[in-house]
Amino acid sequence: MRKIKKQKIYLLALLLPFITFVIGFEIGPLVAMIKNSFYADDGIQVTINQYITIFKSKFYLQAIQNSLVISLFSAVTSVIIAVIAAYSLTKFSQKIQNRLLMITNMTSNFEGIPLSFSYIILLGNNGLFTLLFSKIGWDVFADFNLYSWTGLILVYIYFQIPLAVMLIYPSYQGIKKQWKEASSLLGGSTSSFWLHIGIPVLLPSIVGTFSILFANAMGAYATAYALVGSNYNLLSLQIASLVASDVALKPQLGSAMGVLLAATMIGAMWFNERMMRRIRRDLR
Amino acid sequence: MSYVTIDQVTKGYENQVVLNNISITLKKGEFATLLGQSGCGKSTLLRSIAGLEGVDAGRILIDGIDITNLSPRQREVGMVFQSYALFPNMSVFDNIAYGLKMKKVKNIKSRVKKIIEMVDLIGKEESYPHQLSGGQQQRVALARALVMEPKVLLLDEPLSALDAKIRKSLQKELKRIQKELDITTIFVTHDQEEAMTMSDRIFVMNNGQVVQSGSPSEVYTSPVNTFVAKFIGNYNVYDMEVFRKIVRNRELKGTEVAIRPEVLQLVSVGEDSLDLQENWGIKGFIKDVSMTGNVLRYEVETEESAFHVDYLHHRGKMFEQGALVHILVPKKECIIL
Repeated sequence: MRKIKKQKIYLLALLLPFITFVIGFEIGPLVAMIKNSFYADDGIQVTINQYITIFKSKFYLQAIQNSLVISLFSAVTSVIIAVIAAYSLTKFSQKIQNRLLMITNMTSNFEGIPLSFSYIILLGNNGLFTLLFSKIGWDVFADFNLYSWTGLILVYIYFQIPLAVMLIYPSYQGIKKQWKEASSLLGGSTSSFWLHIGIPVLLPSIVGTFSILFANAMGAYATAYALVGSNYNLLSLQIASLVASDVALKPQLGSAMGVLLAATMIGAMWFNERMMRRIRRDLR
Repeated sequence: MSYVTIDQVTKGYENQVVLNNISITLKKGEFATLLGQSGCGKSTLLRSIAGLEGVDAGRILIDGIDITNLSPRQREVGMVFQSYALFPNMSVFDNIAYGLKMKKVKNIKSRVKKIIEMVDLIGKEESYPHQLSGGQQQRVALARALVMEPKVLLLDEPLSALDAKIRKSLQKELKRIQKELDITTIFVTHDQEEAMTMSDRIFVMNNGQVVQSGSPSEVYTSPVNTFVAKFIGNYNVYDMEVFRKIVRNRELKGTEVAIRPEVLQLVSVGEDSLDLQENWGIKGFIKDVSMTGNVLRYEVETEESAFHVDYLHHRGKMFEQGALVHILVPKKECIIL
């Protein structure tokens, strides 16, 4: 008995760095953020005024709305593209699949300031392609402005797709060839197979991927900051300027917005989960 | 009048011939089995009939219609897979109803209900595949195929993944349902015992060819070549040159001889007088005894060769290892190949 207890203590001791890390860098800041959000600007008085300020301010509400819209839009678009792209990936030989996955893996890490900078170099006002195409006389980019809503969405989708492909690809291995064969023998077409069997089977992974993409976009900061600076009103940019700016330092208000950001992510996950359970009754 | 005709079907992958000029005809309501070792082409033939694989040459006809170039969904055949291939996201009811929904037929509910009764799955309608045992899953797969009232039912080793007991009971049930619906059935298996129990007709396949066809008893008692003899009946097979020496008879013709292990008799040396009119007597000793339950299998070594001898496991006499015996080989039972 004693031996087992000792072993357990050793095992727990090995977990210690991990537990310390989680408490120090994840739970700690979260608790501090929630606590902070209930203080007035002076940091002494306990109040819910910070939340009231946010909900009364058109400016902040617009930031939340913008963030929600860009996150939803880029997540939905990327998931749809990734579902198709991951499927076509599975159609290649194993060798090519491995190579394409390697590229996907690399590009999925390509985000933040380097990504924005690359876009600026290639498609900015004085970008390589912008200038090249205007010299050649193609005006495809004449109406395109990288530092706008469209530009921002383009960049968001760009960094979301590889991640989505990486996350959805493995679940295609779970689709058995014989389900397709059985479906076709029972009179089902390819599209009815995907509609009734393929997509529902993939759904948990699609939904999970969507949640991750949504959170990824909601929290994306560096990419947006490098591209549009404070020209565009996004939740993550507002939080940053409230907690780290030289002009209006209001960490309590920033915390309250951070709490709202977290709440929307949790809400999105909960909603996804509910929707999935409705369609995949076998998983209940 | 043949209901299913497979006419000179040939198929190959790259340099390998998988189906070599196969011709088979089946009557309506017949239960036919394609029997062979893995890689003999039996599953490929079944999949070609289903339309899941194309053929390089030849024709396949069902009920007078040439289906060789039709898609699987146009062929009106049902298929049951070894791995069941049930749709995991659908309940038992929805799995069975899927085909009917695809065809947009009426009274789906009553048809599904009827077939659920037939395969004895009442009460499981709302269960999901992962909540069922292997045997139950295979019943669902069978019901899903049968509810479409296919012209031909194709079964690709449907019982191979199940344990022995459930397998035996499903064999019986499958046979009962097949007779009840009078549905033409093609069954693929590598298990000769299963083939014997279930079939009206067996097609023994080897290297992409049908090497012998006939009723189970025909195939069992008169194998046409060494392969069938060894595969289907665990026969003793000897080169004729060797056999002539064993029985000391130079006038025997043929190239090989096959003898079933259960027609041989063992007599202790010096015990009885031997009937050497009808039999050949060969002296040997018991090298090994093994038991498969109801059968005792003796390995008897003789001067020139060795024999397998099968006895029913009676309570009576058993030969000990090392005992000296005469093997009585009935002359009539020697099959010259």
